[in-house]
Amino acid sequence: MALENITLGQYYPADSVVHRMDPRVKILLLIAVIVAIFLAGNLLAFVPIIAFLVIVTKLSKVPVKMMVKGLKPLRLILILTFVLNLFFLQGETVLLDLGFAQIKKEALILAVHYSLRLVLLVLFSSILTLTTPPITLTDGLERLLSPLRVIHFPAHEMAMMMSIALRFIPTLMEEADKIMKAQTARGADFESGNLIARAKAMVPLLVPLFVSAFRRAGDLAMAMEARCYHGGEGRTRLRVLKCEKRDYIACAVVALLIAVVVLLGYIY
Amino acid sequence: MQVTLEHVTHTYQPGSPFQATAIQDVNMSIREGEFLALIGHTGSGKSTLAQHINGLLKPTSGRVLLDGQDIHQKGFDKREVRKAVGLVFQYPEHQLFEETVAKDVGFGPKNLGLSEGEIKERVIEALQKVGLAEPEIMEKSPFELSGGQMRRVAMAGVLAMRPRILVLDEPAAGLDPQSREDMLQLISGLHKQGTTVVMISHSMDDVARFATRAVVMEHGAIAMEGTPEEIFRHAERLEGMGLDVPSVCKLGMKLRAMGLPCPEDVFREEQALPALLALWKEGKRHGA
Amino acid sequence: MAEPIISVDHVSFSYDEGGPMAVRDVSLTVERGSFHAILGQNGSGKSTLAKLINGLYLPTEGHVTVCGMDTQDDEKTWEIRRRAGMVFQNPDNQLVATVVREDVAFGLENIGVPTEEMPARIDKALKDVGMLKFADRAPHLLSGGQKQRVAIAGVLAMAPEAIIFDESTAMLDPQGRREVMQAVKRLNQEQGITVLWITHFMEEAVECDFAHVMYQGQIVLDGTPREIFSDVERIRPYRLDAPPMARLAEQLRAQGMPLKDGILTVEEMAEEVARLCK
Repeated sequence: MALENITLGQYYPADSVVHRMDPRVKILLLIAVIVAIFLAGNLLAFVPIIAFLVIVTKLSKVPVKMMVKGLKPLRLILILTFVLNLFFLQGETVLLDLGFAQIKKEALILAVHYSLRLVLLVLFSSILTLTTPPITLTDGLERLLSPLRVIHFPAHEMAMMMSIALRFIPTLMEEADKIMKAQTARGADFESGNLIARAKAMVPLLVPLFVSAFRRAGDLAMAMEARCYHGGEGRTRLRVLKCEKRDYIACAVVALLIAVVVLLGYIY
Repeated sequence: MQVTLEHVTHTYQPGSPFQATAIQDVNMSIREGEFLALIGHTGSGKSTLAQHINGLLKPTSGRVLLDGQDIHQKGFDKREVRKAVGLVFQYPEHQLFEETVAKDVGFGPKNLGLSEGEIKERVIEALQKVGLAEPEIMEKSPFELSGGQMRRVAMAGVLAMRPRILVLDEPAAGLDPQSREDMLQLISGLHKQGTTVVMISHSMDDVARFATRAVVMEHGAIAMEGTPEEIFRHAERLEGMGLDVPSVCKLGMKLRAMGLPCPEDVFREEQALPALLALWKEGKRHGA
Repeated sequence: MAEPIISVDHVSFSYDEGGPMAVRDVSLTVERGSFHAILGQNGSGKSTLAKLINGLYLPTEGHVTVCGMDTQDDEKTWEIRRRAGMVFQNPDNQLVATVVREDVAFGLENIGVPTEEMPARIDKALKDVGMLKFADRAPHLLSGGQKQRVAIAGVLAMAPEAIIFDESTAMLDPQGRREVMQAVKRLNQEQGITVLWITHFMEEAVECDFAHVMYQGQIVLDGTPREIFSDVERIRPYRLDAPPMARLAEQLRAQGMPLKDGILTVEEMAEEVARLCK
């Protein structure tokens, strides 16, 4: 019961133009924006990208707080990137002399540049996951990858596996919680001891969990077969993905963005 | 040995948008030697309540006392509660994990830090209680057993802790009639040998047959409490809560509605026989 | 007799070649629109028989025919499964999607139903089992009885002629069991869907048209529920439990009370007692 309400991924339900966009377009545009971020040759070129980020965030109705939360797990890497670049990159103009190390102007610019790149990458990816339910995302990926079927890439199978995983994660979490309690009731201790002792203590939890997962997999396979599942061939879909005006506009905007970024790189 | 719950409230995920209060201000005691049935709709808070009895869940507010001692106060050894109160979850066979039946049953005693000899003694004792102490079964993998046997092994795993109080969450769920009856007889036998039993059950016929006292939960609070006689006298109220009543009770209600003087305290099958015969003889005398 | 929709003809089945037979020489016919129950203790072969009927297992000996098609015919496998759908025991392990509506769509997608047709069929199926208002919920937040009704809707949307229920109420609480049972009875009575109900709960079998008792892989008794359950002594060797009222009636008769034969329900018992005592 305690784990029943866990939300998956970090989808933020809202009704916005970004939410309604075709997931395929969103995935492709994310790739395009990532390209733009890497093409940005100087700090000035980041200005249009940041402006675009602000506009998209506003349009998506996702609270800024949620976006910032996505950066939290990365703060250590961010700080490290910044500090290491700051002290170890070469340059000529000394800004500050701390005695044991010097901070140079060129290094500072690059440190800001690299950190900003990382932050933007994470924020743009968050927009995709925050505005697209996991299942829709899977759907979009499947469609995008389906041309690869010619080279026997199992696009449909992969997508089916991902969506089944999404369906069963809450069920297995609940089960893990129950088994853990049952073993605790038999005096098992999952919390104290050193690393090895703790790893060993997981056996009474993991074995039943695996047994149960296999049993469920067997049951599910049979239930799917009974409902005429026989792979991706000849399957129709409940949800049809359709590109609409908003998707085309978004594509145009991103194309313009790349152009501006490249141009700014040349000017300076 | 007695467990008392004082003003126990439990809220899941407090402070989050998913906050849910499962039980609210529950006061009750589990008395030594009784067979207590915990009745209620799915989601009425029975399972949450059961998990407070052996300290698996900590009340959001209120206290749980074991012989007068607060089990959640600092310095109280939780192992004391775990030893005293054995908890058998629903579908307990899903917790089996060891290579052999004997090792699995020995898991609890091993966690108590007992010697090899003592563990073995307890394993055999527990398996004897569930009727599976044959050497060839003890060395088998628990996963090779039948469903009913697996459940009994899981139960032996709890009995090996020698609990004074046994809490069972629907011990007969999903079993076929024969295994069901075996399981109920087993629990009734343990009760007769002096173990205090708390059983969550959906089967009112089972409650009528075995329980010495019953607590009815509704929306996280205790709605009714008393002996089965007292509870089943209010059959209409139980039905109003969406709960079943024993079939003999239903028969009595029907007969009374038809104007026959069927006594109200008849709710077990063996009580129905003399009551109906008496009705019939009475009717024959009047008719004659 | 009406046209048979399912016919099982001297079927035997073993899980491993040369191994013990889980189903031995079983024959039965189910007429279109009827409600049959198969009863038996765990391991009696009843679930195996269910899986033989929609081609999940193929008979080692004998033939199973569904709507005139032999399950051994490879080309007919999917058509058989569409026409004779199946609902399983564990409500959690048969739902595929993260949203109810999409789960019901799963079967339709598999059999290639055009996208435009799907929403109407999904809504109707969910409505028929009283689950329409949960269409956009996540399955893991539903109760057991609700999950089973979603599973039924998933089968129902595929427009089956028969549905096989393989102990579909065994893991439910009494309320969930009632919900599912009511939904199934309605489908049988209002839409004429043939039902094969596999269970070990006698109370449920009491309401069917015809019952078959299985024991050690064989069908040992056939008949109407009244014929089968009112004779408590006859079913005892097969380790089944007679309905409480049948048991009580037998004890009363042994004490000389002249109750009529075939009492199964509380209503029947009450009427009979009233008749004798007034």
